[in-house]
Amino acid sequence: MTLAIFLIIAVILAGIQIAVPFLVKRTVIFGITVPEKHINNEKLSSFKKKYSLLVSLLSIISLVSYAIWVLSSSASEEQTVLIGTVIQFAIILFSFTLYFYFHGKTLQLKKKMKWGENTKQIQIADLSARAKDEMLPWYVFLVPILITVGVIGYTISQYTLLPDQIPTHWGINGEADAFTDKTPVSAVSSPLMLLVMQVMFLAIIISTKKSGIKLSATATNASRLRQLTLRKYTSWLLFLTSILLTGMFSFFQLRTIHPDIVDGTIVMAVPIIFLVITLGSTVAFALKVGRSDKRSIDEAAAGITDYDDDKHWVGGLFYVNKNDPSIFVEKRFGVGWTINFGNPIGYLIILIPIAIIILFSFL
Amino acid sequence: MIIRIEPESDIPIYQQMTNQIIEGIAIGLIQPGDSLPSVRTFAADLGINMHTVNKSYHQLEKKGIIRIVPKSGAVISSPHDYNDFSFDRLKENYKLLIAESLVVGMSNEQIQELVSSTINHLKNSSNKEA
Repeated sequence: MTLAIFLIIAVILAGIQIAVPFLVKRTVIFGITVPEKHINNEKLSSFKKKYSLLVSLLSIISLVSYAIWVLSSSASEEQTVLIGTVIQFAIILFSFTLYFYFHGKTLQLKKKMKWGENTKQIQIADLSARAKDEMLPWYVFLVPILITVGVIGYTISQYTLLPDQIPTHWGINGEADAFTDKTPVSAVSSPLMLLVMQVMFLAIIISTKKSGIKLSATATNASRLRQLTLRKYTSWLLFLTSILLTGMFSFFQLRTIHPDIVDGTIVMAVPIIFLVITLGSTVAFALKVGRSDKRSIDEAAAGITDYDDDKHWVGGLFYVNKNDPSIFVEKRFGVGWTINFGNPIGYLIILIPIAIIILFSFL
Repeated sequence: MIIRIEPESDIPIYQQMTNQIIEGIAIGLIQPGDSLPSVRTFAADLGINMHTVNKSYHQLEKKGIIRIVPKSGAVISSPHDYNDFSFDRLKENYKLLIAESLVVGMSNEQIQELVSSTINHLKNSSNKEA
């Protein structure tokens, strides 16, 4: 069971890592801005292929040997979990190392071929892009928050029914495996953590909406389609995640109050269903966004190129631009968003909730 | 409407924005009564400082081309919002430009021709875009 779950997660993780060069924004290759007319350069294509090939080789070898090791030796549950986690980190670390290698290679190639020199750099904005923005409105994120407030209220009203030991951690089978003494704080601590996460989601969705719709001057339609797709499905994915987390946390909280409310099979199914839907929707999100700008639908304009903002991207990964009021911007290597490290609001939205959750777990 | 900025041009960015918005209204890409994006949104889309956008909006407001209305933002004025003051100011600008044209040796006809061809160009663009 543990092996199967680790393998599924690792395969999806490796799959996304392998596909990343083909899912990123079309004009950014290994974190380097490449002018539209050079994106199909043979060398660049071979960099992408080599990267994917090497990551898939390492992933296949390590995951197959992991599976054989778990099945042949009598590895304990803890060992399976530990080694599985180590392998997942190794795959990520390896793909990052390769990323930096090809980031350097692409940078060299760009300098050598003098791409983008002697052309006029253009930055554009579409005044009507906001009218086409299909992000979910922020207030739908109040629904899970209200549910959680209800669960907290119900817990307080049923305080006497709660057991003397409050569960604080659940295994993958849905049964609690760590407990703490019953106090008014520990009784509601898990829905409170959920509430913190939901407020963080709300803050993320509001700041994403306020962040810029960044368009490419040389591929205006393709880039607009990608930006709008990314924004729309980010809000959907975030909403789905928020609803799923609320459902799972509320279910466990209600089961702590009323232990006999459901039988064991349902309890076992809940974390698995959560995992499957989360992973499935993340993959669907990555594919949907990643493929949105791959069909060329723009006529290439001569003599102009996109504004080269590589200087704002440290290592091609971290965006630092004090002037840009955007809190989040689209990632360069991967599908999704990254923080504008030049804007302190971004850190606060991510760091404060994490700090609160860590604080809670020490209480 | 698409705003195009050349960050490395000699013309300051706020001036480029102002010029293009005025041209956009002349062509009919933006209509009187439409609102421009908020300063924050516009700056975020272009990845530039909010002060730059603010400067352009203030310039447009000073010219009477937009009105900054609390809550609804920057709204494009309609032709009957302009008064003698606007015309006087433009007359001054024309005078300077015409003087410069004469200095560089343009003839009366060339100047007339330039004016009518520019008007035609803007009108044709508006038909094409519509």
